[in-house]
Amino acid sequence: MDNRPSSHAVGVSLCDSAPLLWRVEDLRTVRSQGLVGALLGSLPRTPRQNVRLGRPLLLLEEEETLLRERQAAAAGYQQDGRGAELRLQVQQHQEDQQRSYEEQSVLALEDRKSALLRAMTSSHTESGAGALDGALRGRLEALDRSFTFPCSALAVQLSTARAGLSYCPEARSILRADRPIRGRDELSCDTGRYQVFTDLRGRGFYLTSAGKFGGDFLVYPGDPLRFHAHFIAICVSKNESVGLLDLLSVARLGSNVKKTVLLCSPGPDGRVLYTSLQWSGMV
Amino acid sequence: MADQNKKEPELKFYNEILTMIHSVHVTAVCSYPTSNHTASFVSLGRISSPSELFAARSRSHKIPVRGQKDFFPDDSDEQRRRLEQSLTEHWSLISEERVEKLGNLVKATWIPSEQIVELQSPAGKFWQTMGFSATAKQFLLPEEALYLMECGDLQVLHQDLPLSIQDGYEKFLSSSTVSLLQYQVFGHLKRLGYVVHRFDPSSQPSSYARQLNLPQSRDRAEKRVKRKRSDSPSTTSSHTEAQEESDRMEDKRGGHEGEDDEKLPESHPVTSPETSGTHNAAASSAGAGGGGTWWMADVLGDQSDHQRASGSSSHRDFSSILFPDLGSREHLPSCLASPDPSLLPGSLAVGVCDVSHWRRRINLREVKMSPKEQEREEARWKRRWDVNKDRQVRQCRNWAEYRELLARRGGRREGRPAHLWNREVTPLHDPRQPIPTGQLLDKISVIESTHLLEGASRLKDSDDWRICFNVYQPDSVADFKKSNPGKPYSRMCVCSFGGLVPDLRAIKQLALQSGDVPVVFAVVDHGDISFYTFKDFQLPTDVIP
Repeated sequence: MDNRPSSHAVGVSLCDSAPLLWRVEDLRTVRSQGLVGALLGSLPRTPRQNVRLGRPLLLLEEEETLLRERQAAAAGYQQDGRGAELRLQVQQHQEDQQRSYEEQSVLALEDRKSALLRAMTSSHTESGAGALDGALRGRLEALDRSFTFPCSALAVQLSTARAGLSYCPEARSILRADRPIRGRDELSCDTGRYQVFTDLRGRGFYLTSAGKFGGDFLVYPGDPLRFHAHFIAICVSKNESVGLLDLLSVARLGSNVKKTVLLCSPGPDGRVLYTSLQWSGMV
Repeated sequence: MADQNKKEPELKFYNEILTMIHSVHVTAVCSYPTSNHTASFVSLGRISSPSELFAARSRSHKIPVRGQKDFFPDDSDEQRRRLEQSLTEHWSLISEERVEKLGNLVKATWIPSEQIVELQSPAGKFWQTMGFSATAKQFLLPEEALYLMECGDLQVLHQDLPLSIQDGYEKFLSSSTVSLLQYQVFGHLKRLGYVVHRFDPSSQPSSYARQLNLPQSRDRAEKRVKRKRSDSPSTTSSHTEAQEESDRMEDKRGGHEGEDDEKLPESHPVTSPETSGTHNAAASSAGAGGGGTWWMADVLGDQSDHQRASGSSSHRDFSSILFPDLGSREHLPSCLASPDPSLLPGSLAVGVCDVSHWRRRINLREVKMSPKEQEREEARWKRRWDVNKDRQVRQCRNWAEYRELLARRGGRREGRPAHLWNREVTPLHDPRQPIPTGQLLDKISVIESTHLLEGASRLKDSDDWRICFNVYQPDSVADFKKSNPGKPYSRMCVCSFGGLVPDLRAIKQLALQSGDVPVVFAVVDHGDISFYTFKDFQLPTDVIP
């Protein structure tokens, strides 16, 4: 996996010190690099269910660190408008709204007309073409005169992501220098975990969080959309002693969910030592 | 289309767009005309064109079902195709934007100074379970507003511009309102249909008040808005507190009057320890006849201290306050001493109480026996064995020997052997004393069973573990009243897998705070939420009562 700076920098915005991605192109970029993340928000199409969630995407600490190392992440540009710029934005918004209203009323009228046409042609298939034309023209003209598109019928968009600066290369370099995502003292990434993460990612595995399985990472052989996880990775340092009961509980858990437990110990030379636990039964 | 002879090119263009949109999901990024923008403000955000917005009326509202997953990646075309299909479907769902008719949206504004959202148009159906009114306006809490924004029911404006969901997350969620973790739990439960409200520890009645089943008159709105300001008691907030306490005291007074009339209206000292720490029934029944306000002024001074003290969880241990048992057969003094002055409000002095005439009124009559029973008693009396006829007794020459004889006999017959009972260490229980089996088992048990709330009142509140939400069940939504929600189904405490596991001290403290409502720990792990709860459990003792 190459680590050269990518051409597209994703905008990471912090909410309550958690790294979130909001824009679809950022999500796609990040997925193409093999980072999955977790969706947190309601899905716009069906907001009242928990099976499928929508944006924002929450990144793991390790994923955020990886993106920063590849110089592929930049702080999201956030600024409350002030004074003249704010007035300009408000004016722009109102003009956009007005334009949208005009276009939508035209569309609504055409839609009504075509619905009328369909209704009339389906009910008047037997009568002659002349009579049809006359009645039709009359009705269409009446529609033209009396049709109003009420303001309350205007469809508006409730944007998910904030419209802001684009992440074109020049802008990205300015952003990176001036505005790091976090302060230097906030770097709290556990280096052992990060080493394991990068090693497994480098081997082509997809990794997500495994708190509910009692581990550090869930390891998928391919994209999680299509494959089941194979391993539960637990980071243990080489010098740390593991109690037998802990080992047994972790092994039991793994066998209950049909996954292999992987004990990962990062070494000093950057290599990681893996030990797998699998329930073999009595011999 | 039949009317192509009319406004042709324009119409054709729009019609083509309509048909295109109807048949294919819109996934392309649509950039807005930038003719009148300055170079620095180039928006590449996902803003739909008016035709897209118009066409969104007829969007499907179903999500495609996910197929079976594969186990192992083999480089087959079949798998690759299915992966691409899943990904395409995924991106189309994720990139869809919320489109609503203006008439269906409730408008609101964000007020950053109060950290609250004020509604500008009348609330919809959500008003039954969310939001509160204050000063003739309708308000929503930030987490409620954000949830409604995500559902597409609410549009929040700030500085005349509509906020995006991203703006909502960044502005509404913080450690002073609701954190991101807590909002995730909030949203998860709301999407399932539960009613979720913020937990307010100061509105919890003490266990004693709950025992009395006192009605709760809480004004949620005022409490909420007042809570936004500083925690230190300002004059306005203490006034509201006093107001609410006076409301509560009015209710208690009504309750007590009823009880007092039935039982012992004159025994003030007996009831006053009962109500110490929360309210003074004696004062109320004394002042019930006269005007209500004179004693409130006196009592309030102490009450606010008491209330604040009880607020910081120095709950009184009512089990240590003794009730005199006037009906017992043991000899009681005919006068009850005056109660401990620390249990009474400062201005009240209570003297000694003469209970002799009460004791006379309690039924201490002897049992009247029927003639047959009387005969039996007399026969028993006649059959009493005369001690002087006993040969061994006659052999005793003096009282000392007789006592020794009794001791020997007592030990042998009654099961109290001397070698056990005449030493420093004696058996736990004298077999001559009657005792029920259950109590006997308790007496000889080495390990005592305990329950969750034991010792909990002595614990100080900790900052690490806090109850965040009250959760009410979904099927109560129809008759849910915000002013009187009733007992919640459970209370949520939000934490994450990266943090500590709650220890026994935390669990006890939270259980005490929650009262009789179970506390559920919602553990958040990057979008996945697991719920855990600790249940009190008693090992059964096999005892025939």
